[in-house]
Amino acid sequence: MLIEILQQTINGLAIGGVYVLIALGLTTVFGILGIAHFAHGSISMFGGYLTFFLVTAQGLPVLAAIPLALLAGILLGLLVEILAYRPVRNANHINAFIVALGLTMMVEGLNLQLFGHEQVVIPTGLSKVFRLGGITVPELRLYVILAAILLVVAMMIFVERTKTGQAIRAVAENRDAAILMGVNVKTIPLIVFSMSTALGVAAGIMVGALFAIAPGIGEGLVVKGFAVLILGGLGSFPGAILGGTVLGITESIAAGFISSAYKDVIAFVVMILVLLFRPQGLLGRAP
Amino acid sequence: MNKSLHLLPWLLGLAVLAMLPQLITVKYYLHLSILALIWVIVAQGQNLIQGFTGYVSIVQAGFMGIGAYASTLIGLNFQWPLWLTMMLAPLITALFALATGYPSLRVKGHYFAIVTLAFNLIIVIVLVNYSELTKGEAGISNIPKPWGGSREAFYYLALALAASLTLLAALIARSRVGEILLAIRQNEDFVAAIGISAWKYKLFAFVISAMYAGLGGALYAHFQGFINPEIFGVAQSLDAILAVILGGSGTIAGPVIGAFLVVFLPEILRFADSFRLILYGLILVLATIFMPIGIVGIAKSAFARMTRRGGQHGG
Repeated sequence: MLIEILQQTINGLAIGGVYVLIALGLTTVFGILGIAHFAHGSISMFGGYLTFFLVTAQGLPVLAAIPLALLAGILLGLLVEILAYRPVRNANHINAFIVALGLTMMVEGLNLQLFGHEQVVIPTGLSKVFRLGGITVPELRLYVILAAILLVVAMMIFVERTKTGQAIRAVAENRDAAILMGVNVKTIPLIVFSMSTALGVAAGIMVGALFAIAPGIGEGLVVKGFAVLILGGLGSFPGAILGGTVLGITESIAAGFISSAYKDVIAFVVMILVLLFRPQGLLGRAP
Repeated sequence: MNKSLHLLPWLLGLAVLAMLPQLITVKYYLHLSILALIWVIVAQGQNLIQGFTGYVSIVQAGFMGIGAYASTLIGLNFQWPLWLTMMLAPLITALFALATGYPSLRVKGHYFAIVTLAFNLIIVIVLVNYSELTKGEAGISNIPKPWGGSREAFYYLALALAASLTLLAALIARSRVGEILLAIRQNEDFVAAIGISAWKYKLFAFVISAMYAGLGGALYAHFQGFINPEIFGVAQSLDAILAVILGGSGTIAGPVIGAFLVVFLPEILRFADSFRLILYGLILVLATIFMPIGIVGIAKSAFARMTRRGGQHGG
């Protein structure tokens, strides 16, 4: 029983890492642009698909395919920001969100057009399994967890310690004051979008390597990302990290002990319970 | 005088729709027209919460699914008459809407949209996995149809329901409740500040909109004779949003026009599924950026410019 729980916790950490990356991307974009970047999941999956095709069709090694997919994903993300989000920057939230929905449909359609309907798994060749007591840890899962931690730490250092990061936080805090202080608010959204998309594509590649990429997965993932934000508390980085980890582990344990068919329902049920009893989220401040 | 001028296009439209089965020679177009009328009901519901109240709900197709499965399953398992199960469908959907609306209306804006989308995902997951009851992904076929499956008769049933529910939506919009819903869209804090508990009105709009969808879903099931979970997925909820935006959100004529467009556009354009997604997405993005007032809004302002009488408002 205890071993089983530990085992599912380890499994949950990997998927939790994916959720954290997606949620961090969403919350930074929302902080700077005030836009619920719904197309995030589909763009992330675009990166995952691209990695798969670079590896299988072009014969590239995985480690060479990943930077290319990151780059292509970032370009797609920037295109979306400039062409679609910028025009609705000052429109009301509903219109901005509907634009995001339309973009999601477009990117999903693009994915279908380019990569087809088939479910794909990125071949990594990592098949070793570590054993620790009664717990088995596949090599791949371990690397995913480590990569997720590395990316989160890198992002935190970038946002908290660098001058650009300081400017990003300043814009999120008070846009007008940041402009007065000489922050270039034209380039900040582009930097934020690149960073967020890079995290997203990394998550997409992890999903493609751990599980599979298929049409519709991106939408499900972005909803989970928002669920993580509601769970952790809107606009809180530590909240997103805690929320994603908790959600990943809860899902994994529930899938192991209750039912794997309903594991996605569990994530949403947790979100609804939080909304009912602690609407400010686990780490959010009461309004 | 002014009032009759407003009613005239409605009566004309209704007359054309009433004669349509005699005018249409291709049976398939009659089939599509029935689907469009069902979508008018669904889109009118969506408009109540999205257009009037300003809350984008992404669960309309999920609620259609609840209505469709409720009517079908009650009919199959208890052998209750079709009329009764179709009337029960919106009531059962209302119960689900009450239970889901209460937590989701605690958050605003896009978070509300995401929570409702999560509900749509849950509904589909349950429909797929609770296969002892719903027969899973394979779906349920041979659902009884009224009047031995006569298309003409069903057309008039759908028309009568679509027309009366459009009228009901107009009455709600013109009532005090409708005014408060509009006020919530404009400024929710202000509504709260003058001592109106906004959440009751929001929940009302959400539940009514779900009931429209539930009835639409039941009609769909007994018209097509076949349902499966995929029909009631998020993509179809997005179609409902598109119908409202394209037609003209917050107007009564908008959802009617939008519903016909959403049903007929893919048939006219005949694209592959992935192209349909790209095209619909593009239309949604372009329409929101360049014509957020929809076709009805544009037609109205053009009409106002033509008659040189600014400040026309209403229906």
